[in-house]
Amino acid sequence: MKALELKGITKQFPRVLANDHINLSIEKGEIFSIVGENGAGKSTLMKIVYGLYTPTSGEIYVFGKKVNMKSPHDAIKLKIGMVHQEFMLIPRFTVTENIVLGDEPRKGIVFDFKRAVKEIREISEKFGLKVDPLEKVANLPVGIQQRVEILKILRRGAEILIFDEPTAVLTPEETEDLFKTLRALKKDGKTILFISHKLKEVMEISDRIAVLRRGKLQGVVKKEETNERELARMMVGREVVLEIPRVKVERGPVVLSVRDLAAKDHRGILKLKGVSFDVHAGEIVAIAGVEGNGQMELVNSLIGFTRPVKGKIILNGEEMKLVTPYNVRRKGMAYIPEDRKRRGLVLPFKIRENIIMGQHTLYPFSKGGILNDKVINQFATKQVEEFDIRPRDIYISAGNLSGGNQQKVILAREMAMKHNFLLASQPTRGLDIGAMEFVYKHLIEEKKKGIAILLISLELSEVLGLADRILVMYEGEIVGETVPEKTNEEELGMMMLGIKRNERLVQ
Amino acid sequence: MNLLNLSIAQMFDFAAPILFAALGGVVSENAGVVNIALEGIMRFAAFFGVWGAFIGKNPWMGLLWGLLIGAAVGVLHGYISVTWAGDQIVSGVAINVVAMGIITYLLEFVFKTTGYSPPVPYFGAAHYRVHIAFISKIPVLGAFSNLTLLVWFSLIAVGLIHFMLYHTVLGLRIRAVGENPHAAETLGVNVMKIKWFATILGSVLAAFGGISLSLGTLSSFTNAMPMGKGFIGLAAMIFGKWTPIGALLASLVFASAQIVQLLLQGMASGIAKQIPLGFYLALPYLLTIGALIGVVGRAVPPASDGIPYKKEG
Repeated sequence: MKALELKGITKQFPRVLANDHINLSIEKGEIFSIVGENGAGKSTLMKIVYGLYTPTSGEIYVFGKKVNMKSPHDAIKLKIGMVHQEFMLIPRFTVTENIVLGDEPRKGIVFDFKRAVKEIREISEKFGLKVDPLEKVANLPVGIQQRVEILKILRRGAEILIFDEPTAVLTPEETEDLFKTLRALKKDGKTILFISHKLKEVMEISDRIAVLRRGKLQGVVKKEETNERELARMMVGREVVLEIPRVKVERGPVVLSVRDLAAKDHRGILKLKGVSFDVHAGEIVAIAGVEGNGQMELVNSLIGFTRPVKGKIILNGEEMKLVTPYNVRRKGMAYIPEDRKRRGLVLPFKIRENIIMGQHTLYPFSKGGILNDKVINQFATKQVEEFDIRPRDIYISAGNLSGGNQQKVILAREMAMKHNFLLASQPTRGLDIGAMEFVYKHLIEEKKKGIAILLISLELSEVLGLADRILVMYEGEIVGETVPEKTNEEELGMMMLGIKRNERLVQ
Repeated sequence: MNLLNLSIAQMFDFAAPILFAALGGVVSENAGVVNIALEGIMRFAAFFGVWGAFIGKNPWMGLLWGLLIGAAVGVLHGYISVTWAGDQIVSGVAINVVAMGIITYLLEFVFKTTGYSPPVPYFGAAHYRVHIAFISKIPVLGAFSNLTLLVWFSLIAVGLIHFMLYHTVLGLRIRAVGENPHAAETLGVNVMKIKWFATILGSVLAAFGGISLSLGTLSSFTNAMPMGKGFIGLAAMIFGKWTPIGALLASLVFASAQIVQLLLQGMASGIAKQIPLGFYLALPYLLTIGALIGVVGRAVPPASDGIPYKKEG
């Protein structure tokens, strides 16, 4: 039986054709993945299926019946539920309130909280998704928050469950938990639509996979009959080099040296507990670890967002007494931030403004406080060309670019800055394969130029592919040091979870 | 009635307009609509209340007129800030400025006077008060023996709004919309309807506040009204952490500052006499700044407060 059928779905936005005559049919009880690069139209398609967008043309059939959805309300009635990429939760409300909102148990006009709590207990038991109904959502880890989202749609009786990039925010263990849940739901006869651009996960979980590129359906394949390489080629439209070429560079003198550095997070909890390491010129040192094990505090200390509790930071032979973003940049640090939308760019500003930021007070971009538009435009145009930023329009605001192109703007800016140390904090977070490849290429270019690079990453494949040396962080400490030739994902994984430690290498 | 009871009763008189305005703010901002037009709405309602009472020769007619004009101004604010998703502060400021001008004009046009209206029938008159004779001699409790109807309304409103916000389905949805309208929308809550409802109800509550100024203890409109009471109401809402009961306590604190000032003027000696009058007028704002910077536990507004909501797609 077909759970969902899309016939000729087209969505035209003012400037882009997001979906172009898409035909899909999804069987009941299967896990069906939709992959594609950022901006390929996956999310748009799912928002159409969930009634958030109205298609420009095309027909939707749910369990064989033609439907015409005008709002999520209609989708819910048709037993379609969606777990959004950005969680639709209210942090100040309890788990119970979040789940029942919009369909509350009531006595007259009164909200029957007790009955709601009882219902949540029952449903959580029934599907084996453990939650504390009375806890505030703000106090829950991301994985549990997602569980709340799933319970929310299950309670509404969803038979077709849409997951929009559900693993983007999860740690590897949480992802494993989610996959267990998905398999259990499948066993229960639910139909699952899984949206992702992480091919490895797609290959692990799906029955069938549809590939989208630039709004068009490239094909639907069975998992058994394909592999990551083929999917990548379908997604990008050309052969993609997933393996990162090894480049050997003679390592130079120490550029950054960190000694016994400790720092607290914004809540005052000690998250970084005395780490020491060096980064040499022409070397990529990777910090591997599960998110939240002190990486953020290390980054913040290095760029001067947090004042360390103790320890030394020595950049280019000089101890930084007062670390501020301005000071470290003058001393030769470039920074690719983990959150490009908040730290990397001023979204409402144009490319030409974002691309000189940080150097805007310097000659030739400005003189005596007056910006030199001609020089700025020349520079921006040159960088947009060189870094292949699309569209080639320096007057477009950064907020209107795709994630990959936003990252390119940041690279174009940071690479142009005078530097000999690069702090790359999760530089490929949320990027698709094409853009990832681009970032890797530039990191290797930098290394060839003799720049010292500290790479902070959650992706083991990235760490193993790029790094000359790997430091593993666990609970604010470096619990192991190794080189990619002598280790593998399993060993790193064990260290990341604090199960295994190894000796630091002698430098 | 002894001085203590009299002072407490007077405190409730002072508190009522502030409390109504604060409750208006609480309802509106819990749904994410900032309404700094409270001041202007109070001015509209204070004047139209007097006008209605003048024509109808009884304060009930005044109340009706005042509430209707309050709702009408609420519709304007809702149209700009909810339906059009315009800037809520700009809309609020505009309404306040318009209220200043129009009412000054109407005052001269309707009553042919400058600065104040002729006296009209009002709720402060003895037969509109709620007499509870048997408690009048008891200290503190006696303060409640002779309050005006509007003061009682303000206290009842606190209970009703608390019940609505925290114990009804509607209240849960209002708060959800103020926290995360997109989440509410995906669950099938009609965000626009909720925001409209809260905006109008908030404006009507502010109108009650305006009426309690001109028809509560006074029996006429003066052109200085509402003398910043709308803004003090907003301060009380913040000081009370966006909750009805908090707003009540804050309003009482602010009102008692005024009473203390009156008492001190009469009998203070020594250093207390040296404190300038302006200090008491500034006190509500000083306390509010304290609340905002976290002196008495941080006051955190609803997460989507003041952010215009636009539907996707």
